[in-house]
Amino acid sequence: MTGLAASLKTTPLHERTAALCASHAWRRWAGYAVASSYELSHEREYHAIRVAAALFDVSPLYKYAIRGPDAARLLDRVVTRDVSRAQIGQVLYTPWCDARGKVLDDGTVARLEETTFRMTAAEPNLRWLEANALGLRVTIEDVSAALAALSLQGPQSLAVLRALGDVPPLKYFRLARTRLADLPVDVSRTGYTGDLGFELWVEARHALALWDALMAAGAPHGLQAAGLLALDVARVEAGLMLIDVDYVPARKALIEAQTSSPFELDLAWAVNLGKEQFVGRSALAAEKARGPQWQFVGVEVGWEGLERLYSQAGLATRVPQTVWRTSTPIYSGNEQVGYATSGGWSPLLKKYIALAHLRQPWANPGTQLDMEITVEHRRRRAAVRVVKKPFFDPERKRA
Amino acid sequence: MSASYDALIIGGGHNGLVCAAYLARAGRRVLVLERRERVGGAAMSEEVFPGFRFSVFSYVVSLLRPEIIRELELPRHGLHILPLESTLTPLPNGDYLAQWNDHDQNRRELARHSLRDAEAYDDFGLVLHQMARAIKPILAMAPPDPGSLDPRELMDMLRLARYFRGLGDKNLQALWKLLTMSAAEYLDEWFETEALKATKSASGIIGTLLGPRSPGTAYVLLHHYMGELDGVFRAWGFAKGGNGAVSAAIAAAAQAAGAEIRTQAPVERVLIQGGRATGVVLEGGEELRAGVVVSGADPRRTFLGLVGEQHLPGEFAESIRRFKFRGASAKVNLALDALPDFTCMPGRGPHLRGAISVSPSVAYLERAYDEAKYGEISRRPYMDIVIPSMLDPSMAPAGKHVMSIFVQYAPYHLNGGWTDARREALGDTVVETLAEYAPNLKSAILHRQVLSPADIERIVGLSEGNIFQGELSLQQMFFLRPAPAWSRYRTPIEGLWQCGSGTHPGGGVMGASGRNAAFALLRQRR
Amino acid sequence: MSAAIVLGSNADALVAAHLLARAGRRVTLVHPRAFSDRPASWVSPRLRRALALEAAPAGADATWASALLPAGGTLELAQDIGRSVEAIRRLSPRDAERWPQFCERMAALARLLETLYAEPPPAPLDLRLALRVRRLGRRGMSDLLRVLPMSAAELLDDWFECDALKGALAASAIAHLQQGPRSAGTAFRLLHHHVGCAPGVFRPARIDLVAALRERPGVALRAQGIERILIKGGRVTGVALAGGEELAAALVLSAEDARRTLLELADPGWLDPELARAVGHVRRRGVAARLRGRARHRPATAVLAPSLDYLERAYDAAKYGRMAEEPALEARYDGDRVEIDLQFAPYRLADGPWDGAARARLAAFAASRLPELADAPLSVEAPPDLEEIEGWPEGQPFHAELALDQSLWARPLPALARYRTPIEGLWLCGPGMHPGIPGAAGEHCVQALERARA
Repeated sequence: MTGLAASLKTTPLHERTAALCASHAWRRWAGYAVASSYELSHEREYHAIRVAAALFDVSPLYKYAIRGPDAARLLDRVVTRDVSRAQIGQVLYTPWCDARGKVLDDGTVARLEETTFRMTAAEPNLRWLEANALGLRVTIEDVSAALAALSLQGPQSLAVLRALGDVPPLKYFRLARTRLADLPVDVSRTGYTGDLGFELWVEARHALALWDALMAAGAPHGLQAAGLLALDVARVEAGLMLIDVDYVPARKALIEAQTSSPFELDLAWAVNLGKEQFVGRSALAAEKARGPQWQFVGVEVGWEGLERLYSQAGLATRVPQTVWRTSTPIYSGNEQVGYATSGGWSPLLKKYIALAHLRQPWANPGTQLDMEITVEHRRRRAAVRVVKKPFFDPERKRA
Repeated sequence: MSASYDALIIGGGHNGLVCAAYLARAGRRVLVLERRERVGGAAMSEEVFPGFRFSVFSYVVSLLRPEIIRELELPRHGLHILPLESTLTPLPNGDYLAQWNDHDQNRRELARHSLRDAEAYDDFGLVLHQMARAIKPILAMAPPDPGSLDPRELMDMLRLARYFRGLGDKNLQALWKLLTMSAAEYLDEWFETEALKATKSASGIIGTLLGPRSPGTAYVLLHHYMGELDGVFRAWGFAKGGNGAVSAAIAAAAQAAGAEIRTQAPVERVLIQGGRATGVVLEGGEELRAGVVVSGADPRRTFLGLVGEQHLPGEFAESIRRFKFRGASAKVNLALDALPDFTCMPGRGPHLRGAISVSPSVAYLERAYDEAKYGEISRRPYMDIVIPSMLDPSMAPAGKHVMSIFVQYAPYHLNGGWTDARREALGDTVVETLAEYAPNLKSAILHRQVLSPADIERIVGLSEGNIFQGELSLQQMFFLRPAPAWSRYRTPIEGLWQCGSGTHPGGGVMGASGRNAAFALLRQRR
Repeated sequence: MSAAIVLGSNADALVAAHLLARAGRRVTLVHPRAFSDRPASWVSPRLRRALALEAAPAGADATWASALLPAGGTLELAQDIGRSVEAIRRLSPRDAERWPQFCERMAALARLLETLYAEPPPAPLDLRLALRVRRLGRRGMSDLLRVLPMSAAELLDDWFECDALKGALAASAIAHLQQGPRSAGTAFRLLHHHVGCAPGVFRPARIDLVAALRERPGVALRAQGIERILIKGGRVTGVALAGGEELAAALVLSAEDARRTLLELADPGWLDPELARAVGHVRRRGVAARLRGRARHRPATAVLAPSLDYLERAYDAAKYGRMAEEPALEARYDGDRVEIDLQFAPYRLADGPWDGAARARLAAFAASRLPELADAPLSVEAPPDLEEIEGWPEGQPFHAELALDQSLWARPLPALARYRTPIEGLWLCGPGMHPGIPGAAGEHCVQALERARA
């Protein structure tokens, strides 16, 4: 009868996360139930990311094992970065596009061995990978369910790992295959918080043991299980975009205007036009030549202006405690020049920040614009300033 | 007798009633003439067995145009549509394929059968959504006559061409494929799970003597995506009280607007004087006169029956004679003492609130068709089953249930003809087939009603029992429905109009033909 | 003088090569197999002029089909409508009455198709196309709109009652198609085979383009296998031959089928994966076996298709991957040689390989129906054999099944219908391209290419 009654999938860590989830707040992620926050508020969970360590269950990510003599060639056909030149143990963050050069998804490609890669994605990509694999000697295996993923983030994360085993020195976006608590684990120095952090890839059957070991070893370091609300705040501070929220994947777009190119998502650095052949190459080359129409930027809401709007209504200033995901117009004078897609209060920076798509020439840092906000049922415009992403970028992230 | 009515409507089926309601709302004096003792035509509920109410013929509300629901304020007249939640396809190996409305739940279930199909499902849905969007305005359109030299028709034709060009190459190409391919071959390009392809392709063969591998059946796949466009989430559902409640609500709306309805008033023929329809003669001789006569009956009954070939231009008569009906579907209604217990999904569960489709593979459906095309009943038929009492308990006594089984193929042109024995043999086949998946069924049956295409023709008057008033094949659609040059609800007889499913867009309890006809008529007479 | 390479061993490859040579290019034609093709059915007057081809031999009194009747005897369908009427009258006076009118109405539609076949495919909403359609007049137009999507069975049932007549016509409507006479869109195929014929003839005269062009000078012929098409930076640079030799050219025309050309010979990485997927979906199922042997001569092509149901049942078997118990048969005679097509015989048999027993069944069937066959054994070429011998993918001579959804602007699929591929300098000119008549795609491809370069 499983699967019959309306129910979501649960991750290999569900037994532990469910026991911890005092808030009973769950969110859907790729068909799985994942905790929004464990405690009644996500506040402590967020601060753990920035001052101690936080542990996330990120098992719902789609994961593909790609093996074979042409594995690198396949990935080079698909993604915009140069996979063939990646070293063993290197992880690439990369978008991938359709033939019109519009982003389908973004994720990571890790070179585990010369001819073995692991790709992570937000959306299912098996069909797309197979469609690109014509004529290549390569096997593609969906290991999404077989492999659990934990994300350990925060300044103390390395100390927590070292308590569990031998962790070789890992540079930013590098991966090592090691043993933690005597379990075989791939550790990559990656994450979605813009902080020092690691992602741990482990066979599903070992997931609970690894969780337990981490929680035990982490206790002295202030480790906290954390949910998606805290993660959302951290990723906005880090200026990291979220699929379906900050961009519409080309496969789901109903009209051309909903699609985005990597250039429009501030990912020009991840597009390697030096590669002779990859999906979308000619469209992207043409777009680069003419310059992208849109830019993906950070904006900060000016405090004084915000305060004034609230005070006119006889209220103290209010800021959103969780990250909102409603498309919000941004104006220059009376002309709408873009829209913000996620935003909220940064408890660390004490700023109201948002990620936004702006047309040129309004996307240059320092540009003063207005963003729509609702104050006591009325639409108002608050002054915002375009700033460089990320909003928060600690040394320790890369050091 | 003086012309006391502006319009006489022949037939109180849902399209006739819709047409009457719109005409009455525009201030016309309208009389609906229904042969039977109640209105509704094939959209009719009846207490067939004491305590058990059935949607005797049509049994789901699929494409009833939302603008009709809004404009005629049908909910105020009692209409309440309850959503169908799922489709369960039981499989011979004891497994099943379920399709759920919830995206995550559906993907999870599909992934159990094929990861690729789970992934393709969304892409497929997007393409069909785009196509449905492209097609939708055409449903509400009176098709222009491409052969006409009338400037107005030429302008309409040009507008239509411009509309299609505006869809862009990609959409046009996708549309061409949908119009010309078979459902099975179209689905082969997307999916690998047999049960999924079969269950989806089944929507392409409903009401038609065609198999899933017959070209032209892919187009109907669109219908499932049509409803979503109107913002009607879960567009497929049951009407509370059965499909008779749909007709009753439309009739009430028509009457509230001033239309009169006479039941047990069978029309014998259309009165034609000087090439013009001036009224009708009822069986028994009563003559009624009106400015226009609108027929909701199918094209064959209307023109070859009520009008008579002698009044028709030769080529038009030839077109009507060639109009294909070939009813292929039957209906079995069961009164049950207990719910069916499916081996693949035992007990009472959400699956019983949705449709149950006996369509395990494309080859299964194709074999069923092969038997029918040579004039035999399918030995293992395709069935679409719903249990309305699960959603609307008033349909059956407490604890008991009604089951509605749509069966295909049961050809109208059966070798040796339809007899009582053949009808019951069909009922046995249906029960046997379903009992293979739900073994308790046989012992749960209290009563059984079997309706062959011949019965459907006899009772509701649909020629050859075709539920769409004529096959919805490409050469009988749009400006060819029901005949070239006469697709705009008018007829070669001045003053005689058509408003049944045999006109564009036809099919299902949609009501669009009745509404389009009313608008065409009102525009004409202004 | 720029170099061009043409790939393929069929009439389209020869036509394209000679037209390119005539336009001043240095042309190498690489043919991986001995040239052979189904003889052309119709050659447009323009192509005839361009290549100075002789006109088809006319034979006003010739019989184009000799339908074998179940009770013995034949129904002889002749070029001359009057003679056909007489022949039909012996079976059905009513049908005999209708034959001339049927021929006239179908001929009007075929003439429209002929104008569409004389050039690259029209766009679906082309205004010129719309005007041409309107020129058919009201009746012609309703005929066209009705006939195009309908099944051959419906069309023929509308007109005739005689099973033998309907069977003989429907057999040509479903020839080499994985569909039966009741399948929608097959009426269009009847018109397709009517193009270029006199009214009343639904099986075109045979013009052997291959024979006419094979020996002609002006084109360098290389009988060699093709290893792959060379591409750099999205542009064609030449062709690698089996054995390793590379020929350089910035222009390559392939008369091989689209799937082989784009997914096997070229690196599919150059295509939009969505297009590659669509190419992989082009249906090209071979459905007929070819038998060859010796026989007493018959003056006309013999057709065994005694009724629509006979054909439909033969198709039923193929749907499930089986050989028809009683296939449709077409036998063409040339001196004491005979060539027989038996349909349906699917490329992949569901219940085992194409072994000796399967082939023997086909031979036995032919022998049982054609008493004129000599005792010498027939050679049986099943679809997999035809793939090998003729290069017909899956044994399908049209390369892409000529069904309505793979016709005109959608042949073999919309994105490729204009002969051009996304790989710069690589063009498609094979039988899988519009219009699906030998030689015509070769002509249109060169025309499209010259226009694009002009």
